[in-house]
Amino acid sequence: MKTKMLAFSRRQTLRALGKALGGVLAWEWVSSARAASPKTAEPAPGGGGKPPASAATSPKDYDPTKHSWAMVIDVGKCIGCGLCVQACKEENHVIPEPFYFRTWIERYVTKKPQAGSIEAQGETIVDSPNGGMDGFPASLVPKAEILKSFYVPKLCNHCTDSPCIQACPVGATFDSPDGVVLVDPTYCIGCGFCIQACPYGCRFLNPITRTAEKCTFCYHRVTRGLKTACVEVCPTGARLCGDMKDPASAEPLRRFVRENKVQVLKPHLGTHPKLLYAGLDKEVR
Amino acid sequence: MPPQIQRLGLLVVAIVGAYFAARGALRPRSFGQYGWYRGAALTELSALPVTFAGRAACAECHTETVGRMEKSKHKELACEACHGANLEHSENPATTTRKIANPRFCLRCHEANPSRPAKFPQVDPSEHFSDSACLECHQPHAPTEISSK
Repeated sequence: MKTKMLAFSRRQTLRALGKALGGVLAWEWVSSARAASPKTAEPAPGGGGKPPASAATSPKDYDPTKHSWAMVIDVGKCIGCGLCVQACKEENHVIPEPFYFRTWIERYVTKKPQAGSIEAQGETIVDSPNGGMDGFPASLVPKAEILKSFYVPKLCNHCTDSPCIQACPVGATFDSPDGVVLVDPTYCIGCGFCIQACPYGCRFLNPITRTAEKCTFCYHRVTRGLKTACVEVCPTGARLCGDMKDPASAEPLRRFVRENKVQVLKPHLGTHPKLLYAGLDKEVR
Repeated sequence: MPPQIQRLGLLVVAIVGAYFAARGALRPRSFGQYGWYRGAALTELSALPVTFAGRAACAECHTETVGRMEKSKHKELACEACHGANLEHSENPATTTRKIANPRFCLRCHEANPSRPAKFPQVDPSEHFSDSACLECHQPHAPTEISSK
């Protein structure tokens, strides 16, 4: 065996390498030609069971370049019931433990200024017990001391210029053609750079899959023509979502922008979020 | 051509070939279809199962209840906001619907709280018939219709 190894000359080695290279190139050419040929439609991954709901037609014929998703939130309408947080967790199978949220609600309580103070307002306290999923208990601040208080629903801002996408080293998170920032869980290496890069704290590392997770704009729902789960269950219409490339679907959002003074979160960062807010306070970050 | 130049040329061809071979073998087919990511991820994410059927699905059978709601203060309310996600029932009506277990579930939205918008209808549960279930007087599908106790 040893003598045979030694007898394997440089020329033989180079020839063998050349053949191997030729073989790999030929295999690549064949497999790419096979992928390009019009094959039968590949089955939907994870499917195979029952088809989607009657109201939800299959997303087979969905063309991502013909849609553009956006959401608006009216802070003045949010009652902090937390049904959106609950629905999001249920729809997207988000880990039930606290601290794992794709959407959550924050409560802002601004106290009255102290007597004799020249300030217009006192301290602002923000809390979000279990992301607001079980509703909010009575505020720790007595009612007589509250100057004002309100709820702010938060979720991924689906930025046009997303810091998270720039931070991803492997191309696992991306801005889809229909304007949704998504994570490819099979491609994510779980480095967590995107979680640090997101200025809105909208991402987390799934402790089971060890991949980054975030709001998908209920991509599996909107591609079937349904509303996102949070918009579906919101009892006051504080959230609206729509397709900006479909005039009928975009009309409620355009009306919202026309009738309200709208803002985005952290505009100074130049992330250009697609999530618009009406009635934001200066205390909201 | 001197042999060392031939060998160098061969080496360059081998390295470039190896790069393309590795690229072809390691890069997913749909990478670059829409951008610097795997295009098939979009199809995979959109194929995930749905849990909430949506109000339109409920209205297909429960015409009367939904019609009543549409004339009431709860006209914007989704069925599944109170009844819970129920795609299973909408696909196969033989499966039972989920009941609302908590008799004072209404308080989730209507309990008085200074953080809620002042114009939103709210009650203080300690003052407002604290010993009764909401449904003894109120009809959730038409909340302003009060049945006398």
